[in-house]
Amino acid sequence: MTEYAIDIANVTKRFADHTAVRDLALRVPTGSVYGLLGPNGAGKTTTIRMILNIIAPDSGKIHIFGRPSNDPHLTQRLGYLPEERGLYRKMQVRRVLKFLAELKGVRGSDADKRIDEWLERLSLKTPEKDWGLAKIDELSRGMQQKVQFIGTLLHDPDLVILDEPFSGLDPINAQALKDTVIELKHRGKTVIFSTHLMDNAERLCDSVCIIARGEKVLDGTVTGVKEEHGLRNVALAIEGDGASGVADILRDTSLVRRADDSNRFFEIELVPGADPQVLLRRIIESGASVQRFEMIQPSLHQIFLQKVANTVRPEERAAWAHVEEGMSGHG
Amino acid sequence: MAKLWAIIKREYLERVRSKWFLIATFFGPIFFSAIIIVPAWLASRSKATSDVYNTIILDATEAGFGQRLAVAIAGDSANRSRMPVVRVVSPAELTKAESTATREVMRKERTGYVVVNQQTMAGEAARYAGANATSMADMAQIKNAIRETILATRLQQVGLDSRKMKEITFIPLDFSTERITERGRAGSGMASVLFGFAIGFLLYMSIVVYGQTIMSGVLEEKTTRVAEVVMSSVPTDTLLAGKVLGVGAVGLTQQVIWIGLTYVMLKLRTPIMAKLGAPTMNFSLPDISLAAAILFLLFFLLGFIFYSSLYAAVGSSVNSESEARQAASPLMIMIVSTGVFIQPVLLNPTGTLAKVLSLIPISSPIIMPIRMAVTGVPPLELAGSLILLAIGCLAALWLASRIYRVGLLMYGKRPTMKEMAKWVSYAR
Repeated sequence: MTEYAIDIANVTKRFADHTAVRDLALRVPTGSVYGLLGPNGAGKTTTIRMILNIIAPDSGKIHIFGRPSNDPHLTQRLGYLPEERGLYRKMQVRRVLKFLAELKGVRGSDADKRIDEWLERLSLKTPEKDWGLAKIDELSRGMQQKVQFIGTLLHDPDLVILDEPFSGLDPINAQALKDTVIELKHRGKTVIFSTHLMDNAERLCDSVCIIARGEKVLDGTVTGVKEEHGLRNVALAIEGDGASGVADILRDTSLVRRADDSNRFFEIELVPGADPQVLLRRIIESGASVQRFEMIQPSLHQIFLQKVANTVRPEERAAWAHVEEGMSGHG
Repeated sequence: MAKLWAIIKREYLERVRSKWFLIATFFGPIFFSAIIIVPAWLASRSKATSDVYNTIILDATEAGFGQRLAVAIAGDSANRSRMPVVRVVSPAELTKAESTATREVMRKERTGYVVVNQQTMAGEAARYAGANATSMADMAQIKNAIRETILATRLQQVGLDSRKMKEITFIPLDFSTERITERGRAGSGMASVLFGFAIGFLLYMSIVVYGQTIMSGVLEEKTTRVAEVVMSSVPTDTLLAGKVLGVGAVGLTQQVIWIGLTYVMLKLRTPIMAKLGAPTMNFSLPDISLAAAILFLLFFLLGFIFYSSLYAAVGSSVNSESEARQAASPLMIMIVSTGVFIQPVLLNPTGTLAKVLSLIPISSPIIMPIRMAVTGVPPLELAGSLILLAIGCLAALWLASRIYRVGLLMYGKRPTMKEMAKWVSYAR
């Protein structure tokens, strides 16, 4: 097995009026769980489509398991779950799955066996009811997501690419997805997922790459990235009514560079050289009842906001303010 | 190859399994043959309108003509209920009798009345007045009955008995027509025009119906994003080819079943018509050689590939059914304008219009088979038409595959023609 499942070298992709991906280079170690992070329109989907050979880069090279990405034999080893979900609505679940398996070169009898296993595993087939015989549009949304997930993994791919896999998942399916990702990793498979839910990425990924405006902002292992950004952050939790007084202190730009206010919980990035003790003293003086005051590594979310904010024009920053920390999909 | 097969299989099986396919395929020929049989049956029925029997005969001949006419109208002297009422009147009383009869018709007690007199006996004139005076079938029957009665009376006068008279006047003439072509006799002339029309109509409908089937199939894959999953497994050209071939095979299956069933229905037509009591028409099927049948299918297949690949391109470039209908209108215009020419071509299958239309790939898949059905087409023209159509197909496929692979991944605004032209130039 090659060292890198994916090796993207200096890849650029232009569309009519904009450059979707600019001089991108990244390497995904074989057997890792890799997060491709970035705001909407950052070039994640274009990158994924190039990895899958749906579109070709204008320049640069992409190698998958050491082979050029347009090698027709590669597709059998890749599994892809697109961001927007959908299947042939009028088709029977079992037939859809068999079709998807056949496209990946799985033989008919083999496919039937695997479909049964998966349907049972995700409880779409129980002694009472076999949803495999139903049509897609008779299924609930959650069940359709499961079917699509099965379709992605039916041919037992070595590299699984999940584009925004957590969007729209209910907590139970999100948990099932996480369990499966972990299991895939244990079996030596490589999993890439793109997301803007930093919380999920932080917990699941071995390595991440943050891209914005088609360019790489940073990449590396999650621990490495966090260490690089040092222990300059403070986690603060308060009790009672002191929040307004604290908010005033956090606006002091000589002390605080940025603060993420979640009402009773704050993640605070200090100005370089600022003394955290000064901050603690002032908060206590303000009368707030402090529950927690801890020097922490910054969360991926903070790093993301900080890094992405540095690379974009101010008018774009506002548009990205909605980037979620990932409150959904905790399971 | 296995992947192409998987796509063809899915397109084919999913469509053949659908209820609509079964309904259209098996009820289509029944419907078509009903179109042939029912009007003939109705026409034969309309001759026997009961209105004719509910009339009054005002007999001013003073020679018993009215009674004989009543029997002639009833068609059978034993059937008293079908016999019109006969009123023997003197010529002087006729006006009064007529006004009485008129009032009866106005009160809807009777349908109408026939006046027969000396002039009628002489074969010069007879009159009818009634509510059904506009019914051609009724009037024809009464008129025939009068003629028959006059003829019978005259023959009797020269001393012929009624049995002999029937023998002489019974002439069941069967007038059949047959066309002669370079290859010799080629079935009835009427049948060959009907056949040409049927072929043209069938090809026209199939291209419209299955072209749009492909379009909505592509659109479904795009809107549900299945296309992305499939595109990550197979090249777009394979996907497009699989769709066109799969749906084309569905169309071919339907046509073979249609042609087979129609053949059986036409064979059964005469017995069915006889059962219904309608007069039978001698109807010989055109003699179609195997080579011609293969050429028909070839034209269908090529025409289908030409239009369906363009329909697929349209389906990939839009985001909703309503957009698709709009965007497909140029294609629809191409097909419909061909349809408009079916009749002129049938009327003059060797004219310049027919020749030109059977060479242009837009219209040749429909027009050339029609010409082949109704007239002999020189082999050179056939070859030219096929070659041009094949080139047209390649061009359409090339254009379609380029629009298709870009369009499937483009969401949002519907592209302009200029943008689509740009897509064609994209590398990939």
